[in-house]
Amino acid sequence: MSKRYRPLIPFLILTGILIFVAVFAPFLTPYDPYLQDLEGALAAPNSTNLLGTDRYGRDVLSRVIMGSQTTLCASLLLLLTISVFGSLIGAICGYKGGKIDIFLMRMSDIFLAFPQMIFAVAAAGVLGGGLFNAAAALAVIGWPKYARISRGLVLTVRSMPYMDAAKMAGTGSIEMLYRHVLPNIAGPVLVTAALDIGTIIMELAGLSFLGLGAMPPTAEWGAMMNNGRSMIQTAPWVILSPGAAIFITVAVFNLLGDKIRDVMDPKNQRREVF
Amino acid sequence: MGKYVLSRFIQLIPILLGITFLTFGMMQFAADDAVDVIYEQGGASEEVKAAKRAELGLDQPFLIQYGRWLKGVATGDMGRSFISGKLVFETFADKLPATVELMAVSIILTIFIATPLGIIAAVKQNKFIDYVIRILSFIGNSMPNFFVGLLLIYFLALKLNLLPIMGKPGDWQSIIMPALTLTTAMGAKYTRQIRAVVLEELEKPYVTGAKSRGVSTGTILIKSVLKSSLIMIITLLALSMGSLLGGTAIVETIFMWDGVGKMAVDAILMKDYPLIQAYVVWMAVIYVFMNLAADLLYHYLDPRIRYGEGGGAG
Amino acid sequence: MRRKKFLAIAAAVLSMTIFGGCGGEKAQSPDDKKSFVYGTMAYGVAMENVGTNPHESYVGWSTLRYGIGETLFKFNEKMELEPWIAKDFEQIDDYTIKINLKENVVFSNGKQVDGAAVKACLDDLIEKHDRAPKDLKIDSITSDSLSVTIHSTEKVPALLNYLSDPYGCIIDTEAGEHDSIVVGTGPYKAVKVTDTQIDLVKNENYWGEVKPKMDKVTIRSIPDGDTLTMAMQNGELDAVQGLPYSSLQLFTKEPDKYKISRTDTSRIYQAAFNYKTPELQDLNVRKAISMSIDKKNFTEVLLNGNGTPAVGPFPANLSFGDNAVRTVDYNLDEAKSLLEKSGWKDTDGDGYVDKNGKNLELRYLTYTSRQELPLLAESAQANLKKIGIKLNVNATDNYKTFLKSGDYDIFSKAIVTAPTGDPEYYFTSHIVKGAVDNAGFYDSPEITELENRLHNTYGTEKRSEIAVKMSQKILDDCALFYASHLRMSFVMKPNVEGFTAHPSDYYEIRPELEKK
Repeated sequence: MSKRYRPLIPFLILTGILIFVAVFAPFLTPYDPYLQDLEGALAAPNSTNLLGTDRYGRDVLSRVIMGSQTTLCASLLLLLTISVFGSLIGAICGYKGGKIDIFLMRMSDIFLAFPQMIFAVAAAGVLGGGLFNAAAALAVIGWPKYARISRGLVLTVRSMPYMDAAKMAGTGSIEMLYRHVLPNIAGPVLVTAALDIGTIIMELAGLSFLGLGAMPPTAEWGAMMNNGRSMIQTAPWVILSPGAAIFITVAVFNLLGDKIRDVMDPKNQRREVF
Repeated sequence: MGKYVLSRFIQLIPILLGITFLTFGMMQFAADDAVDVIYEQGGASEEVKAAKRAELGLDQPFLIQYGRWLKGVATGDMGRSFISGKLVFETFADKLPATVELMAVSIILTIFIATPLGIIAAVKQNKFIDYVIRILSFIGNSMPNFFVGLLLIYFLALKLNLLPIMGKPGDWQSIIMPALTLTTAMGAKYTRQIRAVVLEELEKPYVTGAKSRGVSTGTILIKSVLKSSLIMIITLLALSMGSLLGGTAIVETIFMWDGVGKMAVDAILMKDYPLIQAYVVWMAVIYVFMNLAADLLYHYLDPRIRYGEGGGAG
Repeated sequence: MRRKKFLAIAAAVLSMTIFGGCGGEKAQSPDDKKSFVYGTMAYGVAMENVGTNPHESYVGWSTLRYGIGETLFKFNEKMELEPWIAKDFEQIDDYTIKINLKENVVFSNGKQVDGAAVKACLDDLIEKHDRAPKDLKIDSITSDSLSVTIHSTEKVPALLNYLSDPYGCIIDTEAGEHDSIVVGTGPYKAVKVTDTQIDLVKNENYWGEVKPKMDKVTIRSIPDGDTLTMAMQNGELDAVQGLPYSSLQLFTKEPDKYKISRTDTSRIYQAAFNYKTPELQDLNVRKAISMSIDKKNFTEVLLNGNGTPAVGPFPANLSFGDNAVRTVDYNLDEAKSLLEKSGWKDTDGDGYVDKNGKNLELRYLTYTSRQELPLLAESAQANLKKIGIKLNVNATDNYKTFLKSGDYDIFSKAIVTAPTGDPEYYFTSHIVKGAVDNAGFYDSPEITELENRLHNTYGTEKRSEIAVKMSQKILDDCALFYASHLRMSFVMKPNVEGFTAHPSDYYEIRPELEKK
């Protein structure tokens, strides 16, 4: 790894840990996150249940760990989808121009005209809730941002002299996209995506919190907080644990995002992370 | 300028049409039939339902339905709520002031908290106070607003018993917690951005020049830096309107603030489609016009910018 | 130096915001002895009871609950009828009943409640209301100066019970309805009615012996359990109804600061097995599932003691209630062996029993607007897993769509089984073949036969006897399982008197209400 990327290492390790926990969640939970034990319900944090138990007597720590899988997988998949599809649409628009370009960009203007969360809340509600529908709602409203970015980049790349040279050399459209265009848009798209993860995690959890995302008994942070709302006084651990989990995860990804931007875009060096 | 304003308004037309079309189209994906929702209680016969469908025009082709609805949006006649039976537009107009009030207070709080903090952090770059402000704004930026809201309730209302719980428009105390919740995330973002803008300004030659002439930092800040950063600050504020509008849905629900956001969440849970449609369309329209206003203000403040540039509303 | 100014402004704004709360007065001061602020979950657009006109859907509940209107007869604690506006009645024949009125009853506008007024009100009721005409089956009404005579199209043994339903509130139809306000005979009268609040003032003309003691009563709809809890803790309310179970313990553990009034209601949490599902046509499977429901822990832990484990559809305070019927006990081992008897065994070791290579997997449909139902669903799901049945819970407020399409194997709901103190309503609406809410398509000839008898039998005792037989038949068939009866709780400040929970769930604001 070149010296330029060295500042990223600590943050990559932190995110690595989170992703490791998410991927191997089923093996890391001390108890079955879905096993109910009504006699042991709402136990305060203790040596057997480190974060206590919820109203069904389920181990909160196990559910928080399992929740990282639900939340992270859904958020990252969602992000992957919108960044890839969005950029692809943008690249096609930028490269082809003409009617397709006008049509798709007008579409993206319309989507961008909605306040994101308002559209998502309504769309998730209309689709009938569920984690998939919530993610779908966020995807529908989320792609234009990426389309805009990649279109702008493609337009810049297209006007570069080496593109004319390549064209004259008879390189095909697809190969051009693949060899010259994609490498140039990957960086900025990655930066945008990295900065977006935190927001997406919060929005998805927010939809679940409103009852429009993950459905019980699924271990998902926003849904856990929603179920624990009425217990904020009697059993605060039920709500604080997933809340802290969201905060830590979002914070780690935000740190990584900020660092990636600083590394990729040296002009912005000044906007340090703290 | 007049010509520019006109052209921006003309550009809005396809956007507004698109917004309404998309909102209307979205409801076609609804998991259940509108007439079934209306007759949820008591088994109405299929004939009755068919008659109702015809009455509401639901048996018409999609585009005709859309046209009728669009006309309704423009004239303020958006039908009746399935659940309460009240006029949708009236319900929405009834609840809008509460949301506007909440937003206005949040924006004012944000400006009054974030602007000084951002400037202080920039001036004291890499000093202790800068680090404290940056850490605080980072934390604020990484907390989902429903978590902030619940923490505020827990500490301010329950543990310290400082504030009333029930949201009630018009009562100045009850607006504090929901407004603070919205301010936390927005203020955090805003502080960081203002810090960056001011830092950039501080490095410009005119500042270094003034400094070398012995002008005090305070004077430079007020007379030059703040003035030239104003445009940026307004733009940033306009950009954060979207997340502020979206945030009201969750925050109003948590604090039982009787605004359009809570109305929308309730409507969604009860499948009250006409209300949901009204909410989405009107919020988007409000957002578009806020952006336009910011854009025009931007041009007014900085005539150097070429007219005719700048595309959509985002 | 200007920077300091910025800081000062920021600090001032912050401190104003955070500490401003100390100085200001609470907006609504319920400390006033003559005014009462009541927070409830039960009023609102979703409950279809917004307003005060009893002749619209479920609005009568608000009229009756908040002391605006009164019915001809009322229920006592045992859900037996007692005269209220009426003095007594005479059953003239199977189709005709004469109701005599008290001489001293007046509407809040001072007008006397005479035979003509009652007739006008009932005529308006059957003309405008959706359920009332079907219940009452009134052919004609005649009135005298102080009596009304009702002639029915068919035998309606429970006619007086139906007339005591909230829709039976007697209002002054001549005075009409203005701004959702009607004129009733109750201790309080509405002055302002909105979707979220009803403002009441004392009815100076109240006819009853006990006169209302509050000058002002405010009914506030607070549909969010946490807000309700905290508003009560904060002292913003005098009394609340509908607290979430998890927060009720906050009040029970401070008996000096809060008073609690509880009562068992006839609201039941039940689940019906869909007889169209082949696996559920087997009595052993239905029995095994019924045996796996841990009613004791469901009521004690998940409902925090705010329910009583149910046997059948009716609570024990009714003569045809739980003391008269019996059902299977909670027993997971027995449940497992029942499944095995029917050939359901876990042959592939995946934790679920199977037969012919197919796992026993069932779809459980319920909704979330009653907070207890998702709790029951999740607890049933975890318990059934222990006996090897996979339960896929679908808790959605969109459940009517699924009900219509038949996409469910078990449907769980909450329902008031004896709203009028009479058992027949439950059987005709949920149990008999072809009933509107017979979600399980349960069809028992014995039930049909018993229902015919019930329909033609007069006299509480005899009717109870038949009702017990019907309930027992349902339980023997394991056609449904009954998890719990709701125990309703009102929490109030210790100085509140005369505010008690009633098993009918009707009479909340009464003339006895006062603050000491």
